[in-house]
Amino acid sequence: MEATPLGASFVNAKSGDGSPSLDLALFGVTADSFLLDGEPPTAAEPGLVLHRDLEDDGVEVGARYVLGGSGIELPVLGFTDAGTYGHAPIAFVPLEVWQEVQYGAQPDGRFSAIALAGDGDAIDRAGEAAELDVLTKTEAYAGSPGYSAETTTMTLIRGFLLVISALVVGAFFTVLTVQRTRQIGLLKAMGASNGYIVRDSVGQMTVLVAAATAVGVALGVGVISLLDGGEAPVELSLSSVAVAAALLVLSGVLGSLAAIRRITQVEPAIALGVEP
Amino acid sequence: MTTHPLQCRGLVVTFPDGPGRRTILDGLDLDLAAGELVTISGDSGSGKSTLLAVAGLLRRSDAGEVVVAGTETAGLSERRRTALRRDHIAFVYQSANLLPSLTALEQLQLVGHIRGQRPASTRARAQALLDELGLGERSHQLPAELSGGERQRVGIARVLMSDPDVLIADEPTASLDPARASSVGELLASAAHERGIATLVVAHDDVTRRHADRHLRLEDGVLHEVDATQVGAGAAG
Repeated sequence: MEATPLGASFVNAKSGDGSPSLDLALFGVTADSFLLDGEPPTAAEPGLVLHRDLEDDGVEVGARYVLGGSGIELPVLGFTDAGTYGHAPIAFVPLEVWQEVQYGAQPDGRFSAIALAGDGDAIDRAGEAAELDVLTKTEAYAGSPGYSAETTTMTLIRGFLLVISALVVGAFFTVLTVQRTRQIGLLKAMGASNGYIVRDSVGQMTVLVAAATAVGVALGVGVISLLDGGEAPVELSLSSVAVAAALLVLSGVLGSLAAIRRITQVEPAIALGVEP
Repeated sequence: MTTHPLQCRGLVVTFPDGPGRRTILDGLDLDLAAGELVTISGDSGSGKSTLLAVAGLLRRSDAGEVVVAGTETAGLSERRRTALRRDHIAFVYQSANLLPSLTALEQLQLVGHIRGQRPASTRARAQALLDELGLGERSHQLPAELSGGERQRVGIARVLMSDPDVLIADEPTASLDPARASSVGELLASAAHERGIATLVVAHDDVTRRHADRHLRLEDGVLHEVDATQVGAGAAG
């Protein structure tokens, strides 16, 4: 099992040549760290190894950036598939530089975490020996700052969208029912029971909502396909589309039930133009 | 089968009118025999449409009893009254009241559908009725594609499709020119006299009244017999 210290913090890097500044997740690593494929930056020759997306944004090797309020200026040494942390692209620097950026002249050897690499059993044993909780990747994500708040917000937004769609569909069918009041009265005058008319109406509503959802899904899939590979990170998963579509149909049909009470209240005498 | 498919006994209907209530029907009695065509006239607001609604089980009276095909209806639930209406009563309206999205043929098939019959099983009878009323070539037209007279005849064909004991018509010729009104009046008379349907018609035109077995005038909440000799002399509506 391997172990290596890791410093992690966020920093704004100002360009020395007037290029746009960068918001970075600054990862301090040791020269022999396994966290970075290839050659990590060293204290002897300090510099930034940046997430590859920044190269696509026009950042070049050799460009110099001043890190936060520390006044430390570093050149860009290269790019790697480091990924992002807290939505900011990762920038690897020597651990000593990170400590100086974070704590100034007296860092006292501090760092944020110890990174371990090994099989599951070895990790579990290490966790027990150090009296630490060992978490899965998902649990660790959930425990990171802001992650659960962010996912809760997204879930709430999706939930509200479903509620709003139910309200919109409910309002639509209520208006439709009001417009058809005389026809509903006529059907009742002909001897149609409330059950007959409600079954007929719910059937029509279900077909309409399902067809509208199918059109919506087709449009959504089309838009996501166009965005795929672009700057915005999108993912098209069949299961998530299917679940969202099913929930949308369900919420739409539930919303349409608001019109049912109105249907049952229509008086057959309306067919004769008589106030009940 | 009773000889009087529709009997109204002591009907009372009142409506809110300012602080009090206005009496529209005041102990009204009416017996309608099978095969009998009865026309009713009355001043505007005299309660003709209200009488039709109560007699057709579309609304309840404050007091009195409506007997349909031998069944007293005052104490029945709305579900039972709806079923009784479906099986025994049919309506012809002033403005045809056809469903705009259905063809003439489908308007008739709807009667069977409400009764739980499959459209395929009622198609032949529906087409035969449309043929009989001279609408055979128009069976696949929507209401918007039919003339006023044709729409009203589809409405009457829809009534015949349900094979009712009681037919209730509210000024069915009011919006038609004299020639088409005459045609509709004759169809109603035929429904009563040839098919044995007890037919109650609010009518102001002489054509329908000339075919009537009795003519009644609604005044002060009750019905009065009108002398047959007055019919056709432009008796007041």
